[in-house]
Amino acid sequence: MKHDDPKLIDSLAAEYVLGTLSGRARKRFERWRAREWHVERRVQAWEERLVGLALRLSPMRPSPHVWSQIEKRIGATAAPGTTPDRAPVDGRRISTLRALAASIAIFVVLVGGFAAWRATHPAMTVLAAITSPNEVQPAWIISADADLRRLRAVAGGGARPQQGKSFELWALPDREGAAPVSLGLMPDSGQLERELTDAQRAALLGSSKVAISLEPLGGSPTSAPTGPVLFVADKARRA
Amino acid sequence: MAPKAPNLAGQAVGAPPEADADDAELTQLISACAARNARALRELYDRTAPQLLACMVRILKRKALAEEALQDVFVSIWQRAGQFESRRGRPRAWLMSIARYRAIDVLRAERAELYREAEIDQLPQLVTEGASDWSGAGRSAAALARCFELLSPDQRRGIELAFVDGASHADIARVTHQPLGTVKSWIRRGLASLRQCLER
Repeated sequence: MKHDDPKLIDSLAAEYVLGTLSGRARKRFERWRAREWHVERRVQAWEERLVGLALRLSPMRPSPHVWSQIEKRIGATAAPGTTPDRAPVDGRRISTLRALAASIAIFVVLVGGFAAWRATHPAMTVLAAITSPNEVQPAWIISADADLRRLRAVAGGGARPQQGKSFELWALPDREGAAPVSLGLMPDSGQLERELTDAQRAALLGSSKVAISLEPLGGSPTSAPTGPVLFVADKARRA
Repeated sequence: MAPKAPNLAGQAVGAPPEADADDAELTQLISACAARNARALRELYDRTAPQLLACMVRILKRKALAEEALQDVFVSIWQRAGQFESRRGRPRAWLMSIARYRAIDVLRAERAELYREAEIDQLPQLVTEGASDWSGAGRSAAALARCFELLSPDQRRGIELAFVDGASHADIARVTHQPLGTVKSWIRRGLASLRQCLER
């Protein structure tokens, strides 16, 4: 194989990305790519040129067991406390959280006025709408299905993303001494939906309030809120 | 200027975020994965797994097999997150490539069996042509769509069968009833035209 012919390298890279370079030639090219930066660059250029073709496919939701398997497989290598869904136990954190919560201006928008929104998302009911005192539009609308198996968060016009930070949602259990339980990160824009684990579901059932804290990118490095609590909202009563 | 966050009153909920903002957020999540933050991986999973799975099911033709391969993909993303920074590319292209290569490897290893058990009616479909179809990919996707349209129908079909369905040259020759050499030449010329058009 000529190793210095840019045209040849580029056409091999194209067929590699396309998938039509196969068998031994594919394996050989893979090794070459890993060794030589200029080959890798050609591959990357083709990946970026063609990716749009695959992004046109209608998305498919993976079954819940897929994530549990991934979590199991990466578990040992994850930084302590970053594993999602582990029930946190830290009494001090809660009192800080509650104290902060009390001192922060809170606007709670209960269910209602979202009929149009709900009509397009029939399976979900609004759990809470989180609005900053200075904003007209909610920062997030949080909803869940009837069984509290899935949670959806939609960023509204009032969402103000911060560079290098993430917003994290917490259930604040009513039980004395119970620690907040993370319900995951809030989208900076758009919406996201996730499955709730049994622990999250139980925490949400036993909570009449939810809170949002500002955390380092990717979420709290521990299993409890570490940053300022920006919002606390009452959970809407479910019909 | 259009607001970055969808406006609830405007019913833009569910619209894909602007590609640049999406890129920045995904890049940050990948960096957090490199720092071994498992929550960031979960977030990345929530945001990208449905798209990656669609691509893998389309190639592998069976959801269970694709889901198994999807696990490998996210373990691989976790392990290789540190490499992404040095490459400074677009995150969706990186993620999608890991998924596609994995699916193609599994397909080539298991294909005889796959053809028998394909769940044809459940395959994800390409969304019909329209303004928002090339979602999550922004300007470069619009350019690809434009350049793709300039190819001959045979070239388009060949490239789409290979990229979207994971078809080999021989598969494409069989499906289109054309000699292998003809198919190879469609693809080679199609790719060359695409590059030329995209670099303009």
